[in-house]
Amino acid sequence: MSTGSYEDHCPFDCDPVQFGRTILDLKSAVADAVHCSVICGCIWGFVILYVNESMNPATIPTVVEDLQGDGRWISMHKRFLIETKEKEPDVVFIGDSLIQRLVHTEMWNNFFAPMHALNFGIGGDQIQNVLWRIENGELDNISPKVVVVLVGTNNFNCTAEQIAEGIMELVRVIREKQPDAYIVLPTLLPRGQNPNPLRERNAEVNKLVHSKVSAMPKCEIVAIDKGFIQPDGTISHHDMHDYLHLTNSGYSKAFEPVYELLLQLLSEGETEKDLTPSE
Amino acid sequence: MSEANAQISSVAFSVIVWRYSTSDFTPENFICCRLIVQYKPERYRSHGQVTHFRGFTCNWGLWIVVNKAIADYLSSNGYMDALEAFKKEADMPGEVERKYGGLLEKKWTSVIRLQKKVMELESKLSEAEKEFIEGAPTRGKRSPTEWIPRPPEKYCLSGHRAPVTKVIFHPVFSVMVSASEDATLKVWDFETGEYEKSLKGHTDSVQDISFDQTGKLLVSCSADMTIKLWDFQNYECIKTMHGHDHNVSSVTFMPGGDFVVSCSRDKTIKMWEVATGYCVKTFTGHREWVRMVRVSPDGSLIASCSNDQTIRVWAAASKECKVELRDHDHVVECIAWAPDVASSAINEAAGADNKKGAHAGPFLASGSRDKTIKVWDVGTGMCLFTLVGHDNWVRGVVFHPGGKFIVSASDDKSLRVWDTRNKRCQKTLEAHQHFCTSLDFHKTHPYVISGSVDQTVKVWECR
Repeated sequence: MSTGSYEDHCPFDCDPVQFGRTILDLKSAVADAVHCSVICGCIWGFVILYVNESMNPATIPTVVEDLQGDGRWISMHKRFLIETKEKEPDVVFIGDSLIQRLVHTEMWNNFFAPMHALNFGIGGDQIQNVLWRIENGELDNISPKVVVVLVGTNNFNCTAEQIAEGIMELVRVIREKQPDAYIVLPTLLPRGQNPNPLRERNAEVNKLVHSKVSAMPKCEIVAIDKGFIQPDGTISHHDMHDYLHLTNSGYSKAFEPVYELLLQLLSEGETEKDLTPSE
Repeated sequence: MSEANAQISSVAFSVIVWRYSTSDFTPENFICCRLIVQYKPERYRSHGQVTHFRGFTCNWGLWIVVNKAIADYLSSNGYMDALEAFKKEADMPGEVERKYGGLLEKKWTSVIRLQKKVMELESKLSEAEKEFIEGAPTRGKRSPTEWIPRPPEKYCLSGHRAPVTKVIFHPVFSVMVSASEDATLKVWDFETGEYEKSLKGHTDSVQDISFDQTGKLLVSCSADMTIKLWDFQNYECIKTMHGHDHNVSSVTFMPGGDFVVSCSRDKTIKMWEVATGYCVKTFTGHREWVRMVRVSPDGSLIASCSNDQTIRVWAAASKECKVELRDHDHVVECIAWAPDVASSAINEAAGADNKKGAHAGPFLASGSRDKTIKVWDVGTGMCLFTLVGHDNWVRGVVFHPGGKFIVSASDDKSLRVWDTRNKRCQKTLEAHQHFCTSLDFHKTHPYVISGSVDQTVKVWECR
């Protein structure tokens, strides 16, 4: 009774693995205030109910569960850590598949690679996963001038408010790790061939984030969601082949404004090139 | 003529008429022409064995093979009516032979491949023609003091599996060595473009390599924190030197060949005795990662550059830091000592009166992430002039052996040849698909080599 292990005293007949993550988070949250061993199952149940309603999953750094069993997510994270130790990027892109796939585009080769950019995108990542990766070293050992973050569209069970809050948490953590870097937030993209609640949610997130970020120093929002929804309300497969991920032409449309902004931010403080001929 | 036959004929005819308005010779055209020639024999076949059709020559011997290939295609895709009609028309009784299996597809793809090759060669040819028209001297008339690298490249060598970090010429033989992030060194013959050998032993990115004056010893350093000495006669690693606490970024021999000097991300510069492999001196003073270290030709001075945006020059004997050169606004990536023959051009560029010998030197050139190249008088610690033109980090800088030019490699993917006297960029070579990381100029032969993040090494001939 006094081991304090939740699995021993679960008041509900729940699967410890399934609930494990929530429990771990809970433990770290309450461990300081109340010693686990004195909490009985009933209180645990109460806490779970309370926490589930009040806590935002998007703001709690979380490891991606290795559902397929090949450990790719953690392998990618480790590779990124090695890159931070060997390379000296001026720009870091971090986020979900929309960032990850950018690395295979013409756009990347022609525009972003020459800026000395690293790409830390992982497909399927939600905000809390990126939070975990940043808290676990992906922005250590380097001093980029700009960090570009795009994540949130995969947070399926979250409300717009929760996602916006998660993005703000990301901004806070990045600011903590890189006090001097610009943080660039491309807006979430619309998704789905036809109008649907997720599109509305993403648009709502963009509004919320805009209202929160606009006053922050060295933090820039770039609208990249314009021009995808056609007059009849559909999204073309020429822009998003699966109505979520971008095609090459979709990438040029979306990331052109990001590129322009980065050029501006990176050349800041540089003396203007004297184009008048001498003598 | 059977119904299917007639259909093919009319379709083919309309296609060929349409194709006539476009002017490319694609595999489709090829087949269409074949069909039209087959089905309109009285019109096109009348010139005998060889027919001129739309500017290209149809050889009837070839057509027999093509006939069989088409028959194979029809039969293997189940167009049996068309096949029968075709066989009848083309006088091809019996079964289609096995050896023509897949031939049509093969021809199809090979045409595309050859076309690509032709286009590549054509663009190379036009580059070479342009060079010729612009008045580059011919091979016979070139002179060792004036020759500069010219496009197109003589060889583009691939083999490395990660970015190439460094390329150097052998001081005696017609070989060069490249180092890569794939942890290997590769030896190539730059005259024939042949790959010779890989040297394996490092466990992480190789950062820099250097030969001693005889070319019998090679030294390499790596992100695995070690320095390795290689016997270049039997390609064996003879010593591994440990002592740096971080990535070793650069290494070079002292002129006598008895010592090597290295620098590291651990902010130190170390001197090692070749005979014993012991570290005999440590130079401290840089506040950050030391990127490159180079010894003056007489061996008395050691120059180093760093992420702290400075260049330091040290007395090799006393470890004393003689001078600190500050004027770059970003990481200084590379440095090169000027040969004596470069003095007059440098003095002229600095605006000094040559007769008075205003700047005595020695002179040093540096390339930085601030996109500029600067030339310094180490004697006085002054920056004499700045070369502006690269659009990205400058990663490699070397003096032309004749002294009149400086050649640089940059992350803007280009190599640039700078006319030192006039402080202007004389030539830009769009060298690579990705960042150019390193270059070397041969001391006596008309060659320049460059390495890139695109994983290739290129050989450029000078004229």
